[in-house]
This record gives sequence, C-alpha cells and structure tokens, in this order.
Amino acid sequence: MRVLIIEDEPRLAENVGRSLRESAGYAVDIAPDGQDGLFMAESNEYDAILLDLMLPHIDGMEVLRRIRKAGQRTPVLVVTARDDKESVVALLNAGADDYLTKPFDLGELLARTKALIRRGKGQPLPILSIADLELNTNSRSVRRAGRPITLTAMEYRVLEYLLHRPRAVVSKTELLEHLYDYNWEKFSNVIEVYISGLRRKLDNGSSRQLIHTVRGQGYVLQD
Amino acid sequence: MRQTSIRRRLIAIVVLSQALLAAGLLLTGIYYTEWRLLSSLDAAMQARATSVAALVRYTEDGTGNVYFDDSLIPPSIDPTHPDLFAVWTEKSGLLVHSRNWPPALQIPPDGKDHWRFKWAHVPYRGLRALHVPVLDREDGPEFHAQTLTVVYATPLIQLDQQVHAAGVSIAAWSGLLLAITVLLALWGIRRGLLPLRELADQAASVSSSNWQLHLQKDEEQVTELRPLIDSMTNMLARLERSFVQQKEFLGNAAHELKTPLAVVKSTLQSLLQRPRSEEEYQQGLEHSLEDLQRLEQLLHWMLRLARAEQWAHGGLRRDLQVIDLSATCEEAVERVRHLAAERAMTVELEKNGQVPFKADPEDLQLVWSNLLENAVRYSPEGARVEMKVANTNGGLARVIVADHGPGIPADELAHIFDRFYRGDPSRNRATGGYGLGLAIAKALVEAYGGNIRAESAPGEGTRMTVELPTS
Repeated sequence: MRVLIIEDEPRLAENVGRSLRESAGYAVDIAPDGQDGLFMAESNEYDAILLDLMLPHIDGMEVLRRIRKAGQRTPVLVVTARDDKESVVALLNAGADDYLTKPFDLGELLARTKALIRRGKGQPLPILSIADLELNTNSRSVRRAGRPITLTAMEYRVLEYLLHRPRAVVSKTELLEHLYDYNWEKFSNVIEVYISGLRRKLDNGSSRQLIHTVRGQGYVLQD
Repeated sequence: MRQTSIRRRLIAIVVLSQALLAAGLLLTGIYYTEWRLLSSLDAAMQARATSVAALVRYTEDGTGNVYFDDSLIPPSIDPTHPDLFAVWTEKSGLLVHSRNWPPALQIPPDGKDHWRFKWAHVPYRGLRALHVPVLDREDGPEFHAQTLTVVYATPLIQLDQQVHAAGVSIAAWSGLLLAITVLLALWGIRRGLLPLRELADQAASVSSSNWQLHLQKDEEQVTELRPLIDSMTNMLARLERSFVQQKEFLGNAAHELKTPLAVVKSTLQSLLQRPRSEEEYQQGLEHSLEDLQRLEQLLHWMLRLARAEQWAHGGLRRDLQVIDLSATCEEAVERVRHLAAERAMTVELEKNGQVPFKADPEDLQLVWSNLLENAVRYSPEGARVEMKVANTNGGLARVIVADHGPGIPADELAHIFDRFYRGDPSRNRATGGYGLGLAIAKALVEAYGGNIRAESAPGEGTRMTVELPTS
C-alpha cells in the first residue's frame, strides 16, 4: 500500500510517515505543500491520501476539490485543526472520506488510514482471506490452513495488496506503483522475485496454488 | 443605598401640588362666600338700622325731645334668631334698645362700624350708624337736629352655617378631584414608564449570542429614552466588537497551538511505538524540546499581542516617560544589523535630531524590530533597507521602513496586519514567523494613538509608515 502525506509541518509529516511505514508496512510519500501534493497525487497511484488543511500555495480544501474533480477515487483522510461542525460538513461534502483533528493520536490515524484503504477496496474486515489463506492486517501475520507463515516485509506488502484485490489481475506496474514510494528506483523484475518467494512459502505443503501468473498481464490471487 | 422611585416621587409632587391648590381654593372659597354673604347682610342691617332710626320722632310739645315709636320695628333678618338694636341720642344717651339687648355689650370706638362679637354663645355682627332724625313736621319750629347713634346687630348662626356648608362642599369636591388626579397620574406614569420596562426586558435578553436591542416603535419614539437607547446601543456594539475579537483570538490561538502540539505528540508516540535505539530516543527528545520551545515562543507572542490589543482598546494605563523616539529606532537598527549582515544587507537610518515622545521604549523597539526584520527577511540578499524618522509639522512623528524586496501582492497587503496571517506560509515557517509580528506592531502603534499602513509595489519593494501623535 502506498500513502501520500500532504503536510507542511516537516516533523509531523515525518513522524506520521515513519509510523505508517513501521506499523503498517506502507510505502509513504510526503509533499510539503498543496502544489507538490496535487502534482504527486495526479502523477502516482495512492491507496490513501492524508491531507492537511492549512497548506502553503494551495490550501487543503482546494487540493481536495481538484483531486476529486480530476476523478480520483483515492480515499482522503483530512487532518485539520478545525473541528467545528461547519468545517467538517464542508470537508465531507467536498469529497473527504474521513477527518482527524489535531493533535491526533498516531494509533488512531493508523487505524483510520487502514480502514479507509480497506473500504476503498471493498474489504470491510481487517482480516483478509481467500481459500484457507488468512492475513491479519492488525497483527501483520499470515496463516495458511492455520499454519503460521513468516514473510519478509516486501513479501507481506505484495500479498496484502493482492489480498485487497482478490480474483483481479494485478499488473507488475500496479504492484510497483502501490508498494514503493517515490524515492525508489522501480524495476519490475523485483516483483518476480517476491512473487516466487511468496509462492514457495504459501504453497509449501499445500496441493492448491493460490497465486497464478497471467501471461503478459500480471498476477491473480484465486483458488 | 437608598432606593428612590420615580413613580412615588411624581405621585408625591402631584399630590402635594394638588393639595396646595385645594387648600388655596378652600380658603378663597370660604373667604369669598363669607364676603358675599356679609355684604348682603350688611345691606340688610343698614336698611334695618335706617328703619329703626326712622322710628325716632320728635314729641308734639315743641320741646325738641324725641321718643321712639315701637309700633313699626322691622322684622329680624333671621326670623328664628332675633336681631338686637339700641339707639342713643346726643342729648339724653340711650333712648331705646331691643328687649334682648345685652347690657354689657362693648361698643367699639369710633371708626369701626362693623364688628363681630359673641353673646350667650351666639356670634353676632354689629353695625353702628349715625343718623339724623327726619323732621316729620314741615311747619314746625326749627330744632337743632339731634344726631342719633344706632347700633344694630344680627346673629351670624345662619351665615356661619352657610359658610361652613360652602367650605365642606369645596373640600369634598377638591378631595374627589385629588383622588381622580392621583389615579390618573398613577395610570399615566405607569403607561409612561412602560417603554422603560420594555427596554429593561430587551436589555435582559442581551447575551453573548444576541447583541441587539429589539426595540418597538414605542420605545424609539420616547424622547426621554433616546439618549439611554443610543448609549446602550453604542455600548453593546463596543462590547460585541471586543467580545467577537476575543472569541476570534481564542479560536485562532487554539488553532495555532494545535499544530505544534500535534508535532510533539506524534514525535513522542512514534518513539513509543516500538523499541528504539538510544540515538533515536535522543533525537526524538531533542525534537520534542525544540518544538516545545517553539510552542512557548508562540505563546509568548500571543500574550504580547493580547496585551497590546488590550492597550489599544482600553488605553494605556502606565506611567510613561518622555523618551527620544529616534533613539529607539537606532537601537532597533542595531539589533537587526546582525541578521542583515548574514544576508549581506545594509540597513540605513536617516534621522533628524531628537523626537521626544512619551512611551515605553521597549514597545517602540518591538514595533521597529518587527518592521525591520520583515524588511530584511523578504528582501533579496545584498539589498538595502531604509529607515527614516522625522517630526512632521502636524504634531506627528513619522517613521518609514522601506525595503527593495519583491513587494506584497495587493490581495495579501490587505491582510498583513491580521493576526496569524502568513502571506506565504512556506517562507514564514522557514523563518520562524508566527504571523503575529505585524499584528503586534499595529496593536502597539494604536495603543499609542498612532496608525500604521503599508504600501507595496510588486517588484519594487514595500514601504511601512508609522505615524505617532507627539502632542
């Protein structure tokens, strides 16, 4: 999962970003103002956007409007210092999915972000499953037929993303887009490495293969 | 404290004046009635006295003696209370008197023809008349005409009763009138004071969410209430302004404090999320401390602004000394020189002798420092900042700070004195600005009765002008 933080207070953005990386295993990009944020939101694919309202150049509300006007459906969590009813209503009406008032709790921010991503992909439960495979996004643990499976951080990210989109064909580019932040060089062959690692670990001792390759298109997670 | 009541006072005045009027009326009425009755009584007495005198005749014997013919005595004025009379002759004294004549009656000395006396518990009015008897024979010898003195008196019982009745009647009518007046006055005052009660009700309904007096036409049309309504309306407007300002300030302050708080909180929470290395803890704590210091700084400036705004609205209440205004400019220029040097900039001060001004030098230095720091921060490196201080002819000290920076766009220029306004937040945050400097400067200048304005031409620079009244 990849999240964009649009926040002009560098230390706050850094803390939130670190928390998302460490506790949820998300790829995080940080934009220091509305202009950069808008540009990044338009040029990359994010699974969620955390948006501060008080921003230099283009304020958060305007960023939100433009994102929605461009037809982007990415869930947006607004972080604001205002908590009066009018502001909240205006925010939600402008297309925000959720809001959090400053000073917020990092744990709450994390939980809300996760929930937003889940809902954005049509998954209501924090425990994702297909066949006898189960992934708990809270404890970040994976089991197959009750057997715990230990994954590397990147393997977990790939599997989490695939589990959010079960039975859909997911391209390597899509995986790269959603798993790496802006600062990484993106080489599609690393995905192949993670997929083969995942296959080995998941299918070990099981008769059914869960991750299938669709030639020339990508991967599908299904029975 | 003694309570006073307008209604009671007005009623007292009405009752008192009405009572005085009634008393006057009563006295006049009694006096007039008595005078009218007495004058008609006097006429009747005079007529009877004349009749009595006419009964005195000369005897036939030619001696010139007189006798009293008692066959034709006139009837008493009041038939139930007989009149008194007595006749004296010059020659032989008392000639005749009525049967009920009191022998001990004192006749007042000459000159007083009417008098009042009491006999046997009955009040009387006495009349003394001098008469010359009429000759009843034309052919008789000429006698030396004798002068008769007739005293005639009539009881005043009936008259006194009439006067008394008149008095009672006047008093009764006056009393009735008084009662009606008091009732009318009570009703009128009550009605008259109704707008006042309405006004009080309206005033009672004023609250922090309703600052308006919703007056009816009635109240507004009452001339006497006009000054009260006007001053109340003005007072409410002033209160509302300062209340809204306070509320805004509180809202702004809370809003501004939330971000630095969120930073500190997130730093600490992120440290606690998982075990960290000593280095990470160290760094986290340092960051938190830095952010807390920023928060402290922000609070300091917010309080400074609040105090300055309070002075600006409530007036300075401090003992101020006369200082040299240009010296405070000099001091401020010295303070900013270091910052300017870092950016290879020069700050020039142009002054023209001393400018005496009554102020706390710290306040003025803060104003100049804020203006100079802004000028230095927003000018390109190597640029020049000019400060001019001069006394104008109109009793004003004028201080100008001009830079050669990029200028301020017109839409931002209108807001630069608003608190927490940051024209370009990215620049301001980087330079540690809180958006309070110019707001504080404005509040301080206004606290000293002056004004501050900004002019800017894009690409040419900004010029801040402060004018302070020196007298």
